[in-house]
Amino acid sequence: MKILIVEDDRSLCNSINDYLKQEGHICEIAQSFNQAFDKSSDNRYDCIILDIGLPDGNGLDLIKELKANKASDGILILSAKSSLDDKLIGLRIGADDYLTKPFHFAELSARLNSIYRRNNFLGMNVITFNEITANTSDNQAYVNDKLLNLTKKEYDLLVFFMTNSNRIITKESIVEHLWGDDVTLTDSFDFVYTHVKNLRKKILTANGKNYIKCIYGFGYKFIDS
Amino acid sequence: MSAGGAFLYFIIRKDVYKQIDISLITEKNIIQDQIEQTDTIPDFSTTFGHLIEVKMLNSPTYQLQVIKDTLIQDSNSGDDLAYRKIFYCGNSPRKKGYTISIYQILSEKQELLAAISLYMFSLFFSLLLISILINYLISKKLWHPFYISVHTAGNFDILSDKPLDLPETDIIEFQQLNRVFSRMTQKMRTDYLNLKEYNENAAHEIQTPLAIIRSKMELLMQNKKLQKDSLSLIKSINEATSRIFKLNQGLLLISKIENQYFHERRPVSLRQIIETYLENYREIMEIKGIRVEMEASDQGMVEMNEVLADVVISNLLSNAIRYNIENGFIKCHIDSQFLIVTNSGLPLKTDPELLFIRFHKSGENLQSVGLGLSIVKKITEQYKMQISYRCTGNIHEMKLNYRLNVAP
Repeated sequence: MKILIVEDDRSLCNSINDYLKQEGHICEIAQSFNQAFDKSSDNRYDCIILDIGLPDGNGLDLIKELKANKASDGILILSAKSSLDDKLIGLRIGADDYLTKPFHFAELSARLNSIYRRNNFLGMNVITFNEITANTSDNQAYVNDKLLNLTKKEYDLLVFFMTNSNRIITKESIVEHLWGDDVTLTDSFDFVYTHVKNLRKKILTANGKNYIKCIYGFGYKFIDS
Repeated sequence: MSAGGAFLYFIIRKDVYKQIDISLITEKNIIQDQIEQTDTIPDFSTTFGHLIEVKMLNSPTYQLQVIKDTLIQDSNSGDDLAYRKIFYCGNSPRKKGYTISIYQILSEKQELLAAISLYMFSLFFSLLLISILINYLISKKLWHPFYISVHTAGNFDILSDKPLDLPETDIIEFQQLNRVFSRMTQKMRTDYLNLKEYNENAAHEIQTPLAIIRSKMELLMQNKKLQKDSLSLIKSINEATSRIFKLNQGLLLISKIENQYFHERRPVSLRQIIETYLENYREIMEIKGIRVEMEASDQGMVEMNEVLADVVISNLLSNAIRYNIENGFIKCHIDSQFLIVTNSGLPLKTDPELLFIRFHKSGENLQSVGLGLSIVKKITEQYKMQISYRCTGNIHEMKLNYRLNVAP
């Protein structure tokens, strides 16, 4: 995936860049509105990660500009404000998704993949990891083409694992991904444990391999070892 | 006033007595003149009301004049009557002693005095009443601006954005008072606003560094060359920063609520939100074996911000799940006034009043940052709803009274 990272904080920008590069994406960086404007006019990106609060302009204006030029770049808004207004306006004028700082990389990755799938594989929304496939158009998962009977949360968890394979996924990020990141703090990680356990059992029962590895103290890794 | 009345009574009494005394002395002088010139006793049988006794003595006597009150028994009724008496004894030029006693009955005068006293008293009393009334009316009018100022200052709400509306007054002292009130409340408001702004800025500014910390830590975590002890260090750092994230998120939300950030409002159905969140938490509840009962006779329409309505409901429900027991229950009741979430659990160990206080924790759950219910309280206050908690044994009940905020 070719990604443009628009973020004025150098340190955060570098982190995102490092992480996404490790995932095998090609990244470019813009640290101001003008840079972002230049780069996005000259090139096409699969996705633009866009911070709204830039020192020399509002990220929302960039979205308007891109949409006016009928650019097909996917846009993920990144904002320190969990402002509903920003979110609604952003999504209305054409952003694909919205993420609030501080975020988990696993979440960022999942969102980027989701945007990418939506924009590129029309009707072919299938994620594959060895014998496991997940069809994101009807939210069903299969092991060797055999339908897995998953609950909604289990399915979400499986897709989250598959889009973040070979990486440590923290329990916090799983909780936030499954139940939302509002302050309700459904912070009992036991629930994550139980969901993972059930998911693993269902995959094994369907003769799939156990790819979910527990990383003690952190969370899990979805890996073919 | 009563001293004045008494004083006046005595003055009048003295005057009356003086009058009597003068007439007694005059009469005595007339008699004395006649005696001294002629040595005869004048004929005073016609003098009405006066009792005069004159005695001629054969030998000279000393000279003496006494005026005093005396009682004489009335021959008709047998009552003692009060008289004013002058007694004089002296010598005529011919060296013959004589005594003159003249009695003037006092009862008439005393009646007069009593009547005057009564009039005086009623006059004084009505004067007293009138003056009290006038005093009351004047002070009421005079102090009116003061009471209004005190009342206004007493109702001062630091959250309201209106300045203190103090009445105009011509009285210098009250003008000073109003100036002090205005200055004080103005100062309080600016301090409060500054603090609020500071809180929001602080919480907001912390978000970006926190995002950096989290991103760096997640990068570090993915490093495959890490030793086991480094991993355990990262794990501890991760746990601590996660807490800061949540804490800061909570504080940010509180200050946003306080700063009227969520000003948009529209009718929302509490029932619908509850159903959404019950669905969201369904699997968690199934894992814990929690039974859910929904008992809704109303949609529970309230006029509020959607995001905040979500926060309230999700907090109440996630608490009901988190502090529940294995195979427990959750009951949601909605009628036209109340939303009641009842759940089974362990008996509450702390004071129920403390539950809604910021950073109060029930102790067992270390993951909780202790902000959830204080946020709920803040939101419900903002929308004129009341939230209350009750615990009877193992049953916990959260009751939201939304009577004052029912949306059509």
